[in-house]
Amino acid sequence: MPSTDGRFASIEDVIARFGQQKYICSRRIATVVYLANHLEKPILVEGPAGVGKTELAKVLASSLGHELIRLQCYEGLDEAKALYEWEYAKQLLYTQILKDKISEVLGGAQTLTEAVDRIAMEDDVFFSDRFILPRPLLQAISAEQPIVLLIDEIDKSDTEFEAFLLEVLSDFQVSVPELGTLRARHIPLVVLTSNNAREMSDALKRRCLHLYIDFPPASQELEIVRLKVPGISETLAQEVVNVVQRIRQVDLKKTPSISETLDWAKALTLLNADRLDEQMVNDTLNTVLKYEGDIRKAQDELKDYLQKQKAKLQGPAGVESDKDLLH
Amino acid sequence: MDDKIIEFATLLRENGLRVSLAENMDGFHAVELIGLGDRIAFKDALRATIIKRAIDASTFDELFDLYFSGLGEMVKGSASSLMGAMQLDDAAFQRLLDSLAQILNDLDAELSELAQALLNNNTGQLEKMLRNAAAAAQLQNIQRSFQEGRYAHNMAQTLGLGGLAQELDALKQQLGEADIDPQLREQLQRFIDRRLQDLTDMIKRAVRMELEKRDHSVRENQRLQSLAEKSFYYLSEEEIRRMKEAVAKLAQRLKNVVSIRRRKAKRGKFDLQDTLRKNLQYGGVPFKIQFDRRVRDKPQVMVLCDVSDSVRNVSRFMLQFVYSLQDLYSRVRSFIFVSEVGEITQLFEEQEINEAIEQSLTGGIINVFAHSDFGRAFRNFHRDYIAAVNNKTTVIILGDARNNYNLPHEWVLKEMRQRAKQLIWLNPENRLTWGFGDSEMDRYVPYCDIVEECRNLNQLYRVIDRLVR
Repeated sequence: MPSTDGRFASIEDVIARFGQQKYICSRRIATVVYLANHLEKPILVEGPAGVGKTELAKVLASSLGHELIRLQCYEGLDEAKALYEWEYAKQLLYTQILKDKISEVLGGAQTLTEAVDRIAMEDDVFFSDRFILPRPLLQAISAEQPIVLLIDEIDKSDTEFEAFLLEVLSDFQVSVPELGTLRARHIPLVVLTSNNAREMSDALKRRCLHLYIDFPPASQELEIVRLKVPGISETLAQEVVNVVQRIRQVDLKKTPSISETLDWAKALTLLNADRLDEQMVNDTLNTVLKYEGDIRKAQDELKDYLQKQKAKLQGPAGVESDKDLLH
Repeated sequence: MDDKIIEFATLLRENGLRVSLAENMDGFHAVELIGLGDRIAFKDALRATIIKRAIDASTFDELFDLYFSGLGEMVKGSASSLMGAMQLDDAAFQRLLDSLAQILNDLDAELSELAQALLNNNTGQLEKMLRNAAAAAQLQNIQRSFQEGRYAHNMAQTLGLGGLAQELDALKQQLGEADIDPQLREQLQRFIDRRLQDLTDMIKRAVRMELEKRDHSVRENQRLQSLAEKSFYYLSEEEIRRMKEAVAKLAQRLKNVVSIRRRKAKRGKFDLQDTLRKNLQYGGVPFKIQFDRRVRDKPQVMVLCDVSDSVRNVSRFMLQFVYSLQDLYSRVRSFIFVSEVGEITQLFEEQEINEAIEQSLTGGIINVFAHSDFGRAFRNFHRDYIAAVNNKTTVIILGDARNNYNLPHEWVLKEMRQRAKQLIWLNPENRLTWGFGDSEMDRYVPYCDIVEECRNLNQLYRVIDRLVR
């Protein structure tokens, strides 16, 4: 139930409302979200890929009942693509169509100067809201309703853009030379995500609350799997999470993220597996790991584990190996 | 509370974290909002507002615990260890405290605040008094461990330890004369003695803790800084590991710098054709001006690393550096040599960087335990690979040129120089020692475009930076 004033009542409220959106968050995340909401400060979210940074913004928007405006950053992103652009083509088209009207305006002009003066009196028409093409940042600032602004993968953008963003984030206003300064009606809730491809500037960090999301502990990941893969059996969910947590300990090129855990769990349920065995793991490991070398390493690592699991299942003989597992 | 947050922020700064005034203010607002009731939320709020880098988080955690709960935990810990010493459980200890309070009341004893807090085991009050005494004794100025005694003495004086001892002695006397169960009396007297001892301990521990706070990561930072200046010759295992991380970070930084440089260099001359084409949609009116895109040559790099014992570490970091930056070059080929040459390019394609480096340095490719023979290695290189050197290639040779008095064969370098775009020699030895003993550096230098000393990380960084310009 979206609140009326767009604010969370307490940290517990954040957890509860995120829970309704099927997003399980730790208390730390909830605290930061609560603070950002009340202090009206942007959140800078960092962490490895696939831990739900972008998802956090989406859930935040829907749990507050706000619209989400997303700005995807990439190398070479500039003001024209992030803030606004004049629609030259439309302006040209209009001048062409209105040619007659323009000559009418210019009709009585005696000198060139007079003609230019008359045109100048009308130039507001061509630089008005009508011909402006708002990009995400301007949309966010001029929105009628409070919104959540997601600036995704800010680390991919250039340092110049980051500097430009500072003005927007600290005052929530932008200046368009032809229109004047536009001020936000509602301070948007801003979420910036970064994969740490480069270190963000101190100036930007100073303006933000900082949140580092890491891979969740096993218990939390299990909860997520149960929530997001409804048909999954309890044993399978447990085993999938155990195995993934184990794989994360291995030194890999790309460690599996939560979304990959979910993919795997979904794939396994689709294959009607109700528990993991070596064959099954070998066949489906490519949903979790994306490099051949990684898969090989993980298989070696998991071989022992799976055999012990199997032995454990096979009754009394398994008691000893159960002990081994505890070490 | 604000004072404490300010002090905590100062402490973080002293430990090398950057905390600005604005962040401090955010901290206040956040704490106002969250309140002090929930310790974890309080910590998270401070962390989110004050700490902005993931690597600082662990320092923050440690200092937070030291600062916000160190003293309190210690005071509580002291009481529980007392319980253990007197062999009392929680309930019995509480009964003892109650009976003492009762007796004090009956005796109508006038006790100082400190004595009351101590004897009632009022941990909150005790903590506050200790804190105040620490502030009065200017404990925050402590810097060296030999000062501990002096500061402890000052604190004891501010607290009035001398007066307290007399007071408690008098109390014991009174107890002795009062009409109570002798067993209880004996227990109470023991309790009072212990508490006095506890307080002196607490003061000492408080001083020690303060020193730990100051000390915590100052040393850590110094170590990191000195690592960059430390010669590659004298690295321990641990330092090699840390150096690897440092190299990875530097490589990342360099990548950023280069990408900015490239972008700036992108704009060239006005491009008429492209401008016309792009502006057709506006009826040929040139709204958008197009410029030539200057294509920059990505350098081709050939690295020849000496991997004999004396320079192995430098080679390790050199290789790591070059391969971390692979995408800045169009092609990297790497060779290692001691007295024979082996190509390891393939190895790097198949293996992860660190593993490939380990393999090539432990003798998988060539015999790394032979005596260095630069001349022979160069001749072999000339025989097998010289055709691969062309006018786009930058050849980097890394070695100390200590040739064990073998033939230097400098003609190979001469030919390489003629073919290559540039030839760079990095020597991990001090410049002053070049040419002495079996060093053939003087013979090789004339054929190199750039000769650099490369003994530590900073020098290595400078060299690589020049390479990608």
